[in-house]
Amino acid sequence: MSTITRRHFLTTTTGAGLAGILATGVPPARGQQREVSYLCWNNFAPLMDKKLAEIGQRFTKDTGIKLKIDHIAAAQQAAKYASEVQSQAGHDLVEMRMHFPWLYEGQLVDLSDVVGELEKKHGKVLSSAGETARVHGTWRAVPQYHAMFVATYREDLFKKAGLKIPDTWEDLYTVGKELKKMGNPVGIPISQNYDTISTAGPVLWSFGGLEVDKDGKTVRINSPQTVQMLEWYKKMFRDCMEPEVLSWDDASNNQAMQQGKAGWIHNPVSAYIVAKQMKLPTADTINHHRTPGGPSGRHETDVPRHIGIWKFSKNAEPGKEFIRYLLGKRETYDEFIMSADAFNLPVYEKLQDHPVLKTDPKYAGLKAEGVQYHCYGWPAPPSDKVQLITNSFIMPNMIAKAVTGTATKDAIVWAENEMKKVMAGS
Amino acid sequence: MAIGSVGVATVQARVSLRARVGELLDREAWLGPIFVSPALFLLLLLVAYPFCMALYFSVSNAFIGRPSHFIGIRNFINLWGSDAFRQTFQNAFVFTGAAVGFKLVFGLSLAMLLNQQLWFKRLIRGALLLPWVIPTALSTLGWWWMFNSLYSVVNWTGLALGIMDPPGPNWLGQRYYAMTAVVVVNIWRGLPFFLITILAGLVSIPRELYEAAEADGAGPVARFWHVTLPLLKPVLAIVVLFSTIFTFSDFNIVYVLTHGGPINSTHLFATLARQVGLETGRIGEGAAISLYLFPVLMIVVWAQLRFVRKQAY
Repeated sequence: MSTITRRHFLTTTTGAGLAGILATGVPPARGQQREVSYLCWNNFAPLMDKKLAEIGQRFTKDTGIKLKIDHIAAAQQAAKYASEVQSQAGHDLVEMRMHFPWLYEGQLVDLSDVVGELEKKHGKVLSSAGETARVHGTWRAVPQYHAMFVATYREDLFKKAGLKIPDTWEDLYTVGKELKKMGNPVGIPISQNYDTISTAGPVLWSFGGLEVDKDGKTVRINSPQTVQMLEWYKKMFRDCMEPEVLSWDDASNNQAMQQGKAGWIHNPVSAYIVAKQMKLPTADTINHHRTPGGPSGRHETDVPRHIGIWKFSKNAEPGKEFIRYLLGKRETYDEFIMSADAFNLPVYEKLQDHPVLKTDPKYAGLKAEGVQYHCYGWPAPPSDKVQLITNSFIMPNMIAKAVTGTATKDAIVWAENEMKKVMAGS
Repeated sequence: MAIGSVGVATVQARVSLRARVGELLDREAWLGPIFVSPALFLLLLLVAYPFCMALYFSVSNAFIGRPSHFIGIRNFINLWGSDAFRQTFQNAFVFTGAAVGFKLVFGLSLAMLLNQQLWFKRLIRGALLLPWVIPTALSTLGWWWMFNSLYSVVNWTGLALGIMDPPGPNWLGQRYYAMTAVVVVNIWRGLPFFLITILAGLVSIPRELYEAAEADGAGPVARFWHVTLPLLKPVLAIVVLFSTIFTFSDFNIVYVLTHGGPINSTHLFATLARQVGLETGRIGEGAAISLYLFPVLMIVVWAQLRFVRKQAY
């Protein structure tokens, strides 16, 4: 029987340990402690970030999995995600807005099992959240909440002038003329920002128009419906709005409403929530109603936000556990949603009549039974080419050209050519 | 005995190693590269590597997180078909030409003024440097408020003085006004660079030359044309060269003020590259946009450096 010397023992155990570490790529201390990191945006409802941190601490206490949450400004998300994917290193979980799961399809873990469980509990995922998080039949991210575009109006001015709440975009033109005469114009941005697209989409769809066909290839912007849409924008710009909308960014319409200038804007409820929190005099005068419709129905834009897990993450399972913890338990999910004061609402069908809508009578207009939400580019699938059309602001620029003197037909032909060039690109 | 001999051998080896290293360091052929190598390493890591990656991306159909293929110069050819890109190309030259031109004229004038005997000269010099010291994103945010359609202090002042008709210019919403706004902010931001560098050049011109010119009957204009300007030429060439490169590649000012709008009328290569490369994921096309002017800038740099060398020797 051979004896084991001290030197022999140390050599063997050190060698085996090192081989194990090299094979797994995880140091022993980390291997024992489960930990996930989550990169999410700076929420426009800051209290929701606080609540997320609080829920995260409870998650660690209940499961023993350490959770590290980092925040990033919405404008920096695209650059940060691109760098994480290129370097194949970074966070485990990432917050993804709208079409991001389509951009990073090959880099995201299949989360169909988690979404399946959530749908069993909370009902089907809403249309736009499904269109954006389910990529080619696979859930690449788990829908968590959405902010929707509704009409925000000055109730006091409407009452004073005896104006009816507009049900269609044509009705809005009628009341908009009166509002402008009163010195409180309609505020719909026509500039290179995303709020412009969030309004232009529903207007175009309600007239029956579209940018790119369902096949994701055929450009359909050159149509009589687009002519109708542009003619509507031209008369709105002339009779109901001020030229300043040509320079607006995503926050300008909120500010115009909060400072008492605009009489009607199209935006998520943030204008009201901020006015309420800052105790602005306009807070009491603001109310909401549903987005107007048109001859082809009522279509609305929203911003669904999801949680994805990078494929390079070594902590996919603890990551899934956190998603289940946050969204799977009704009481935790409710608590999370309530913290946003109706800015971010649930994206599951059974939760549409949510208690948060009863916390303020001015949220009554946000009830969304039967509403079909769509993201930019609908009904085309959000391929990178369709997203390039969106991100190149072709539709806002087509409208800007039309309202500043370019003939309607010429503006449409310009947009058609630009879209066709994008579709023909590599 | 044996132990003693090993000790002596080790000491001898140490001495000879130290002597050899010292000898090597005495040789210029070794010492030069040793001193340069840290900087060279940093340059390779932080400049050459990203640049080569960008070059590769620009000739590929790279998309974030997907395998890419070499496609030659197809990105560069396709880009020319885009109206937004052609507009950006034009904007870049208008923006750079106007901004560098004004910065040169104002910078030269201010430097000559500050080269005179003035009260509070140091305080004024310090104050004039401020725009260059403040982070661009922050200061541009200040300008954004000044040009904002709802709160514009520029319009408020213009209206109060009766030099503008209500509601005043839509600074960021109309193409010519928007371009004017971004050029103005770039001039404000870049002027101190011109001012300080030209001032340094002016200070180094010997007083005797001016005295000799004055003795020959030269007036202020003649002294400027025949003494100041010729001696400042190398400095001006370098300042214009650097400023042209920085201005062509400007990003912050346009990104904060206009996001490239209205109707792409203020987009520059950097802002368009971000929109296409990062927001849409088409890194190949984004890299091609940012490198489009690289050959032209290379020629400009080469020509100007050649000019500077001629002036110097």
